[in-house]
Amino acid sequence: MSDISHNYFVSVAEIAAKLDQATHIAQKLSLTASNARAVALRAGERAAGFRPLTDFIDRLAEITITSSKRINQLAAVLSQTLAEKVRADTAIAHFNAVYVRAKNSPYIHSLDDMYHSCSAKQQVLEKTYKRQIDQLNGELSMLSSELRNAVILATLSRVEASQAGTQYQEALINVADNVEGAAGQIKKHIKYSQQMVATLDEY
Amino acid sequence: MKTQKLFENGSHSWLMFGRDNDKPEQIIDTNQYLVISKNNALLMDPGGIELFSAMLSAVIKQVPAEKITHIFASHQDPDIISSLGLWDQALPSSTLHSPWIWESFIRHFGMESITYAPIPDAGNVLKIDGVHLEFIPAHYLHSSGNFNVYDSEAKILMSGDIGAALEEVDAPLYVEDFDEHIDKMKMFHQRWMPSNSAKNDWVKRIRKLDIDMICPQHGRIFKGDDVQRFLDWFEALEVGLIEK
Repeated sequence: MSDISHNYFVSVAEIAAKLDQATHIAQKLSLTASNARAVALRAGERAAGFRPLTDFIDRLAEITITSSKRINQLAAVLSQTLAEKVRADTAIAHFNAVYVRAKNSPYIHSLDDMYHSCSAKQQVLEKTYKRQIDQLNGELSMLSSELRNAVILATLSRVEASQAGTQYQEALINVADNVEGAAGQIKKHIKYSQQMVATLDEY
Repeated sequence: MKTQKLFENGSHSWLMFGRDNDKPEQIIDTNQYLVISKNNALLMDPGGIELFSAMLSAVIKQVPAEKITHIFASHQDPDIISSLGLWDQALPSSTLHSPWIWESFIRHFGMESITYAPIPDAGNVLKIDGVHLEFIPAHYLHSSGNFNVYDSEAKILMSGDIGAALEEVDAPLYVEDFDEHIDKMKMFHQRWMPSNSAKNDWVKRIRKLDIDMICPQHGRIFKGDDVQRFLDWFEALEVGLIEK
């Protein structure tokens, strides 16, 4: 296996690892939503506007966790396809070498059927590989666009926190900061993963 | 890669492939063997991935691909059979004969199409076009599940790692001076072979066979009187040792 193909395997593994980290951050975000709900309840009427926002934070966390799991599954399937593709590519490279080395052999054409069958398999794998990369890209873009809502959510949370009175204000602003911070970290992982996918597309 | 005809009669022939000048420097040189009968061929210990192109190129000069219906792997080592994933694409209809204990391990090299024919511990016989090729037990020499191939008609024993020597890629094909050759194979046998009782058991079994040539997977072929010299030397050798 070449160093280049080895790097592709590392890229797929890195995507899975980054999305695993995103899942952990989203789980913390879910915890933040629970805490925010408790604070908003204690704050009573003054934080009435904050309560529905906690549902949105929860939803954001859930979408991130579900999507990250899907991306992890896609990365695992892609890794398997990549392994098969590298094997098929390696076989074709070896067979091409045989056609050069043994070009004068009286039996060289006895390899033709096998070569065509390998080539057909290689083409199917190539298409599968491209399709799986598209799926991975689509899932990452979807998650990325969902996370754009986090900025709005954090802004709205700050506005609502300012209505909650001094006793609860700090805790609720902290929730807004957590939402923004978590979304920022997850986005960073997604951006890195998208860069990795772009390198996979080159293979 | 060099090709050498070892035997030929009306029914079949034996070829040896090896001494590959193009192989990467840090991998051990290996000998591969091919028995060709009327409609079939058995490829023995086809080698590692690094050797595949050279090996298939050499073989295809001798027989068409579809004639190679059988492959034999004496044991599970990478220099024996790590090319399996590629042979699987080249010879999808063939059958691989190998020790039963290694089946689930050898499949890690990638095997989707080739059929695995497990050889029982006691060994068995493969008949191709009336040619009888016996899989003779050689367990613990060095692998715990290990076989040689014996052809009573050609009087050839393909002995795998038994009789192997570590030497240069341009070494002669046959042992020329047995005493001189000992230095090249002593450490290999003492370090790789773990069991004196397995060794003696094998020597006893092999002495009953009529052999003109012992053909190992590394190094040189023993022929004529050197066959008995090798058996005597190996019987007297203490194995399972690390040189201090």
